[in-house]
Amino acid sequence: MYKEEVAIRRQPAQYLLKSVLPFVILGVLAGSDPSYTPAERRYWAFQPRSSPAIPQFASAADRAWASQAIDSFILASLNKAGLKPAPPASRRTLIRRVYYDLTGLPPTPVALEQFVHDPSPDAWTKLVDRLLNTPEYAERSAQHWLDVVRYAESDGYEYDTHRSDLWRYRDYVIRSFAQDKPYDQFLREQIAGDEMTTGSTAPEQDELLVASSFHRLGPLRKNAGNQDAAYNRNEVLVEMTNVIGSGFLGVTLGCARCHDHKFDPIRQKDYYRMQAFFATTQQKDIPMYKPEEEAQWKKKKSAAEAEMAKLQKSLPQMVGPERAAIEKQLQQKELELPEPLPALNVVSDEPGQFIPVHVLARGNSDAPLEKVRPRVLGIMLPEGAPELADDTPKPRLALANWIADPNNPLTARVMVNRIWQHHFSRGIVDTPNDFGRMGSRPSHPELLDWLANQFVSGGFRLKPIHRMILLSRTYQQDYLPVAPAVAKDKDPEDKLLWRYPRRRLDAEELRDSMLSISGKYNPKNGGPSVIVPIEPELVHLLYKPAQWAVNSDASQFYRRSIYLFEKRNLRLPFLEVFDSPDRLLSCARREASTHAPQALELMNGSFTHEMSQAFAQRLRSDAGPSAARQVDRAYRLALGRPPTPVERRTAVQFLKENPPSEFALAMFLINDFLYVN
Amino acid sequence: MSAHSKPTRSRREFLTDAFCGFGSIAFGAMLAEERARAGDTNPLAARPPQFPAKAKSVIVLFMAGGPSHLETFDPKPLLNQLDGQPMPKSFGAAKRQFIKGEPRLLGTRRSFKQYGKSGLWVSDLLPHTATCADELAVIRSCQSDAFVHSAAQYQFFTGRIIPGFPSMGSWTMYGLGSESESLPGYVVMPDPGGTIEAGQPVYSNAFLPSIYQPNVFRAGKKPVLNLDMPPGLSEAQRRRTLKLVHDLDNARMGPDDEEFTARLNTYDLAFKMQTEAPAVFDISQEPPSIRELYGVGNPVTDDFGRRCLLARRLVEKGVRFVVLVSGGPAISQWDAHEDIEENHLRMAAQTDKPVAGLVKDLKQRGLLDSTLVVWGGEFGRTPEGQGGKGRDHNNTGFTMWMAGGGTKGGTVTGATDEIGLNAIEKPHHLRDIHTTILNQLGLEQNALSYLHQGRLERLTEIQGEVIRSIV
Repeated sequence: MYKEEVAIRRQPAQYLLKSVLPFVILGVLAGSDPSYTPAERRYWAFQPRSSPAIPQFASAADRAWASQAIDSFILASLNKAGLKPAPPASRRTLIRRVYYDLTGLPPTPVALEQFVHDPSPDAWTKLVDRLLNTPEYAERSAQHWLDVVRYAESDGYEYDTHRSDLWRYRDYVIRSFAQDKPYDQFLREQIAGDEMTTGSTAPEQDELLVASSFHRLGPLRKNAGNQDAAYNRNEVLVEMTNVIGSGFLGVTLGCARCHDHKFDPIRQKDYYRMQAFFATTQQKDIPMYKPEEEAQWKKKKSAAEAEMAKLQKSLPQMVGPERAAIEKQLQQKELELPEPLPALNVVSDEPGQFIPVHVLARGNSDAPLEKVRPRVLGIMLPEGAPELADDTPKPRLALANWIADPNNPLTARVMVNRIWQHHFSRGIVDTPNDFGRMGSRPSHPELLDWLANQFVSGGFRLKPIHRMILLSRTYQQDYLPVAPAVAKDKDPEDKLLWRYPRRRLDAEELRDSMLSISGKYNPKNGGPSVIVPIEPELVHLLYKPAQWAVNSDASQFYRRSIYLFEKRNLRLPFLEVFDSPDRLLSCARREASTHAPQALELMNGSFTHEMSQAFAQRLRSDAGPSAARQVDRAYRLALGRPPTPVERRTAVQFLKENPPSEFALAMFLINDFLYVN
Repeated sequence: MSAHSKPTRSRREFLTDAFCGFGSIAFGAMLAEERARAGDTNPLAARPPQFPAKAKSVIVLFMAGGPSHLETFDPKPLLNQLDGQPMPKSFGAAKRQFIKGEPRLLGTRRSFKQYGKSGLWVSDLLPHTATCADELAVIRSCQSDAFVHSAAQYQFFTGRIIPGFPSMGSWTMYGLGSESESLPGYVVMPDPGGTIEAGQPVYSNAFLPSIYQPNVFRAGKKPVLNLDMPPGLSEAQRRRTLKLVHDLDNARMGPDDEEFTARLNTYDLAFKMQTEAPAVFDISQEPPSIRELYGVGNPVTDDFGRRCLLARRLVEKGVRFVVLVSGGPAISQWDAHEDIEENHLRMAAQTDKPVAGLVKDLKQRGLLDSTLVVWGGEFGRTPEGQGGKGRDHNNTGFTMWMAGGGTKGGTVTGATDEIGLNAIEKPHHLRDIHTTILNQLGLEQNALSYLHQGRLERLTEIQGEVIRSIV
């Protein structure tokens, strides 16, 4: 526990608001602030959460179906639209669904049969509780968070320098989900971890520092030659600020960088006042190497530089092909310069290096306007609320405390909406990073508030929210392959959830599933990221191909996707083609596209090829030479069910006349594998 | 094809279902959702171009590193007169990446002549391009916002100086889809010497769905990744495997499951690509005279010539957007900091003949009318010298040209000042270049938008102008 945290938590709310923050979260002050129109003040997302009454039902059947609050809200909307919920899904369907949702992996045949044949009435509850406590749950949840915070382990831009120790942040995120760390604490640590270390033990301090790497996740441009300090600084602050808006608050702060927000009540000045919380924040790189490593690195670097100097010197006398050859060597040497020494990229509060923040005309650092001090969004403050002083101690902690305040109308809504989205493919607000006017209105506003209230009153813990959702009848509905005409007509997109929405597995789920099904899966958790071999032509497309230093231990290639090295300028083709985000901007919701290059990747890609071979071998060793048994095993492993008689006949016939690896490949190509319902 | 396969659809249905990536339900849902999110202001994704297109395809010839306007298309006699002198204050201050202190101007050693009926000025650096003078619409007043490579390259391709935004190729695909069933619609052919500073994100679909992603060709005879089957596998075998996939899927599929059908179709499409595309890549099928026209066979021009020739073959087959890059990392690009003469003579020698060959070949096949060719770099070069013989980056005034695709050949638009430092007459930001490219494709910049995190994102970000004088 962090002492500072405890102190803050135990104080009554009044104390917290007065002493830590000069801001009072009052929500709406009707008509009192001329800076905002009444319509702006009334906008739903900035209103305090309501305490919605749980809908009641007249009919006994409805009451039976809606015995839980979530179901009541869902059923009320369905009834209103004249729609009915789908019947419950089979246990086979449910276990595959919940495994993917919570762990991103398919159930093993043993786990599956156990559940399907579990006679106890609380079999489902037991399964959900068990999965919520697996390390795979934490990895899966972390993957979603890493999308939001655009986690990657290189700078991007031309140098795309590797961030050797950033995986510690990834592991911190995984640990946080595993422990079910309260979300308010999770966000405080990321925004202000380095400001919260007083009184904590050394390991706790390390954890807090690693959490503050959050501010170092974005792309970073560096250039040779003359440096434009104001421009560079502004770029860094923009990265730090925008992600706070989209990640925690669900507001598109970035839109107010160049002018007042066109759609939401966020003024340009608000944007720079948010930036001002970072006026004393400096990037800090903590060395993660031993002295002898440093000596070796220096030796390597100076040797390369000496050789380059020598070549450079000889250049003026050269002409024609000789010159070209030397230039080529020179270029090669430059690309071979060693990457920077390993360091932990964190931030620290440096009041001595205070850099004033100004409103910038059109976002241009050459055109500073008035100077501003830290203040949170004006729409959520009373009229004339003051700015904080420039020398406010721990300014980021003040910001974090405001975001984490139980009364902040955005924070809890935004996070429960993300959780909801990952179970139903669509959030209650289906633009999870944007609760503003350009975003979607909530499909079930009362449910959103009810969930957010549960979240806050439960101490910001995520697992109870998952549990409530998963235990609901809404979640356990079937996917109806044939939609009722009335539903297709009234709600073709299934926004009201008259059936469980089918979804394509995402890029990481596909890769991890193939590893798991083929038996190649390496379940090791945590640690430095793995660079896997890819086509040399792709490595050659890097500005510095030498950066792609493949791990020497081949068993590492079969780790879960979350442990693969995230390089901004070289995305793994398999993941990229299945819509894994580019990690340059926050990604709130992945696309699930369908196109021919995906088919080419699955049919001809080296990864699928290797996995099919391994799967075929596994089938042989698991099921022996019998084609029928192999087919049965393949279906149970890949699809979580036995084959139908028609499927069995077709597959057995094929397997008798064709290479087993082609049968294994087909299992990865069929829709029942690629989708979960 | 197997009896279980769905009957062949119309090409349009096929494209909607398979190549454009969404089953019609998903596609419709996306549009409906998009409209709902955008308050019904973002309808273009589904509609054909708002006005008849002049160009069907675009070929961007990207001269990475920044070719000098002063050595190519923008003669500046005064600069030669002031050679070696400090830059007169009257021209204003300039931000430079490398030049420090008080710079001195550097005259050019190139000589300029007028070419064609139009009398277009071209330097002796580009003798072959000069023979196409009457096809070129030269824009001498280009401007952009960044004077470092990566940021400027992002802006050239995506309109933004930061990575994370879709490239013009992806936007075009988003707006128009592809006409080719057996080839990727958006192709990038990087320099085999390596990548440019901005790296792969410069060509990317970014937040647009991955159906709009570029296909970055590899060097050599097999440019497309995953087009070859694993070793030892026959085409007949693969057909049988795909039949199994069809049979197993159809055994389970509900009626009218359009998403599943679309997914199943992608395998057939991929198979079609894998069997038909390699013939398109095989430029040995071209007669010797055509290969010679592009400089194929001459070691200096062979690489770029092959890529230009391939670009023509792709466009001929309906590929929508092709990017060709001249220049890889560091000194192997147009980034002439050390010695403008040495660098530009070398880079021009590699590209001049192939570029001219491409324009002429497109013309003689009647393809130039429907193909917009765009030539340029992320910025131009400074009139001030760097280290005596080189030139630094200049983003406030530089030259690009367009040819074909409905542009007016043999014209010059805009002007830089007397030393080529700043665009002073009809300045055209890269936004205008992008707007014009879209315009020729029948796309309107504001209509081609995508709602992303609360903003209707566009290639042009804020309003660009169509360069009316050239269209």
